[in-house]
Amino acid sequence: MLYREAGQFKTSYQADQAIFPILQDRWFVVTFLLAALAVVPLLINDYFANAVFLPFLIYALAAIGLNILTGYCGQLSLGTGAFMAVGAYASYKMMTAFPDLSIIVVFVLSGVITAAVGMLFGLPSLRIKGFYLAVATLAAQFFIIWLFYKVPWFFNYNATGQISAPPREVFGILVTGPRAEPAATYIFTLVFVAVFAYFAKNLVRGRAGRSWMAIRDMDIAAELIGIRPLTTKLLAFGISSFYVGMAGALMFAVWLGAAESGETFGIDQSFLVLFMIIIGGLGSILGSFLGAAFMVLMPILLKQSMVDGLGLAAVTAKHIEIILMGCLIIFFLIVEPHGFARLWQIAKEKLRLWPFPH
Amino acid sequence: MSQVQKTIGDTLLKVEGISLSFGGVKALADISFEIKQHEILAIIGPNGAGKSSMLNVINGFYHPQEGTISYRGEARRRMRPHVAAKQGIARTFQNIALFKGMSTLDNIMTGRLLKMRRNFLWQALYWGPAQREETEHRTFIEKIIDFLEIQAIRKTPVGRLPYGLQKRVELGRALAMEPELLLLDEPMAGMNVEEKEDMCRFILDVNDEFGTTIALIEHDMGVVMDISDRVIVLDYGRKLADGAPDEVRADQHVIDAYLGVSHD
Amino acid sequence: MMFFLEIVISGLTTGVMYSLVAIGFVLIFKASGVFNFAQGVLALFAALTLVGLMEKFGLPAWLAIIGTIAVMIALAWAIEYFVLRHLVNQEHIILFMSTLGLAYVLEGAGDILWGSDVKVLDIGLPQGASDWLLDSYGLYVEKLEIVAAVVATALVVVLAVFFQRTRIGRALRAVADDHQAALSIGISLRTIWIIVWSVSGIVALVAGIMWGSKSGVQFSLSLIALKALPVLILGGFTSIPGAIIGGLIIGVGEKLAEVYLGSMVGGAIENWFAYMLALAFLMFRPQGLFGEKIIERV
Repeated sequence: MLYREAGQFKTSYQADQAIFPILQDRWFVVTFLLAALAVVPLLINDYFANAVFLPFLIYALAAIGLNILTGYCGQLSLGTGAFMAVGAYASYKMMTAFPDLSIIVVFVLSGVITAAVGMLFGLPSLRIKGFYLAVATLAAQFFIIWLFYKVPWFFNYNATGQISAPPREVFGILVTGPRAEPAATYIFTLVFVAVFAYFAKNLVRGRAGRSWMAIRDMDIAAELIGIRPLTTKLLAFGISSFYVGMAGALMFAVWLGAAESGETFGIDQSFLVLFMIIIGGLGSILGSFLGAAFMVLMPILLKQSMVDGLGLAAVTAKHIEIILMGCLIIFFLIVEPHGFARLWQIAKEKLRLWPFPH
Repeated sequence: MSQVQKTIGDTLLKVEGISLSFGGVKALADISFEIKQHEILAIIGPNGAGKSSMLNVINGFYHPQEGTISYRGEARRRMRPHVAAKQGIARTFQNIALFKGMSTLDNIMTGRLLKMRRNFLWQALYWGPAQREETEHRTFIEKIIDFLEIQAIRKTPVGRLPYGLQKRVELGRALAMEPELLLLDEPMAGMNVEEKEDMCRFILDVNDEFGTTIALIEHDMGVVMDISDRVIVLDYGRKLADGAPDEVRADQHVIDAYLGVSHD
Repeated sequence: MMFFLEIVISGLTTGVMYSLVAIGFVLIFKASGVFNFAQGVLALFAALTLVGLMEKFGLPAWLAIIGTIAVMIALAWAIEYFVLRHLVNQEHIILFMSTLGLAYVLEGAGDILWGSDVKVLDIGLPQGASDWLLDSYGLYVEKLEIVAAVVATALVVVLAVFFQRTRIGRALRAVADDHQAALSIGISLRTIWIIVWSVSGIVALVAGIMWGSKSGVQFSLSLIALKALPVLILGGFTSIPGAIIGGLIIGVGEKLAEVYLGSMVGGAIENWFAYMLALAFLMFRPQGLFGEKIIERV
């Protein structure tokens, strides 16, 4: 009864094509964003920022990127970790070489650089499909990580091989570096991610999204409609890497503050983000957020309930956490292979009829 | 059904001496025919005769080893499918090549892709030129949706639609391309009598109102005789007959190879 | 020259090790269409169980091996019951992700059951360099690696016969092609999958023994799974002889690259060389060396 669309007539195609055509959805999103923007900063502290909100937002951005490539365009990629590294190292080089450059510009440019790299490694996708393409992305993953580890120019020749983010400000407020306030880093990341999520949503519901999905669903038929496979796939690789690169830059500069090629951006990251989009829902922007939330929160909840709740040793808890994550992944894949996004859709459809059963 | 007199124009598409082989199998052997503007041409023949292969050659999906194709006077042998699409050739498929993950609306919108100009940066922004373009094309395809009477299933993912409706959506997608030449591969396969009548009506209306040239592969002889201006018969990759429906029906070779005689 | 030969042989023997893991992949893929990412972890788990049985229960090597085989068969049954059965006819990526989940489960379980420290695996396989080769030809080749090569060859022969000649082998091939079709002609997917995963588990055990004897039983064993991908690219996902050849090519290629190219750029090329090699290969032959060309019909 609350969720009825009765009385909501769309009188123009624009209205029908809106991102949130149902009024209740719009209210929900607005309230949610207001809470996120106004309430959370008042309550946030270092722990929550670093353990929950920043990783959630940053991984959501990366998940959006990977979802564009794998979920919408159907090109499996296991190179997400390496592309995040590209974004991170690009931002590092720019921050150290151009200290006066606005950090927003730095992040966007890092994304652009990553997009170029992504498109380069995406070239094989014209010839290669499916799991075979995954190998091409693995080549990217291992090669790039090795490159950043071996070539000292990337980490400015410092002795440890690590890169650390110098302090930078936005509108006079510190957002990077050890002295940045959690509220500041949080709001900055929130706005950044929200804006680019909006752009991504626009892309996937328009011509680009349709071309990508056409390639995913039946690339032969797509060509016969007039879609050009190479340009469409390259665009997917480019835009996807753009998002993943920015996520990597944010991860390095705003969240972690420091990074080391193999440790921070290894193959585990690639699998982690892939999990997020599969559990969240392939081909769904909302799914990217839900999947990121799940993979960020679940380990925390598991650890808290096991270590604090049951008093297990931290090491044992870690092992059990791994087992449980595996079980949960399998469980969700069995129950809803299309991810949380589909569950959400089903819930909304049921809500439309509530409290009537049919 | 008697046909309203219409003007059939010049040759739109001409194929000469097309031969196509897959490894050792010869799918098409020295095929030549013409398709004239505004006409409805039926291609018939037993299974495996090479009919779909012929359409694929016209489309650019298969490249013949020999022979040339001239479209609007320009000769070519090798062409990529998306170039054929750009030149105004659209088609539907025997086994329905819809994008199963998308809704009816989105599927038909993909037919408008060639006409959409705004690059991805405008699309990301959406407000402004990209939105106007989306709305403009949406308005156009809504006419097609009305024409094909599929309003109710606009937002349904096509994977969930019954076969007959899927075929209609596929036709819609082809029409969205505003093609000059429409290639239909067994558009009525698997349909009951009512659905076939609807489909016939759509095909005739498209030909009538927009002047679209249509080449269709079809097994239902009733349909073929009723709606086509000309019939071509293929058998084992060779052309057996080429002429008006009544001529072809009476042709002895065709009767022997395909049509058969009714036994009382 | 000797040095070059040693590197080639070293590469070949590493290649054989890769092949052992790849064969496990091929088996499962051939029979269930699943790309089993957990294959490496299976090898690790098998080796851990073996060592655990020997250390914690003091069993002699041969008894421990039988025990481990029993465990792997039980594991195969469990995997079929809890995971595979519910994912019949899902898309490949879903199946693949479930094996990733499986890898996590097995990894954590192995750690909890047997502990996560590095273990020494000694089941009496000959250690040290082959004296005969060293004396006669001046070549340094480990006896262990020779044993591995022999074992792998024997395994390939047995499996090839199994697949081509037996009724079960045919059923396995049917299942790999199309789950639902196989079901409709009465093939019991359950039985087939349990058999395949058991056999694969045993192959994993063999791989685990070989690797473990060589470098100890530790976590890095599970990462071999990733290296198997280039091997499978070259050899094809469904060919057992291909897995061997692919493994050998990758093994040799890697070692040669590391020694000759690696010295020029500072080393550690082994991390990515195999993938680049596979990638280069794919550009020319998108279906791999032995793979089947997929013809798409419209």
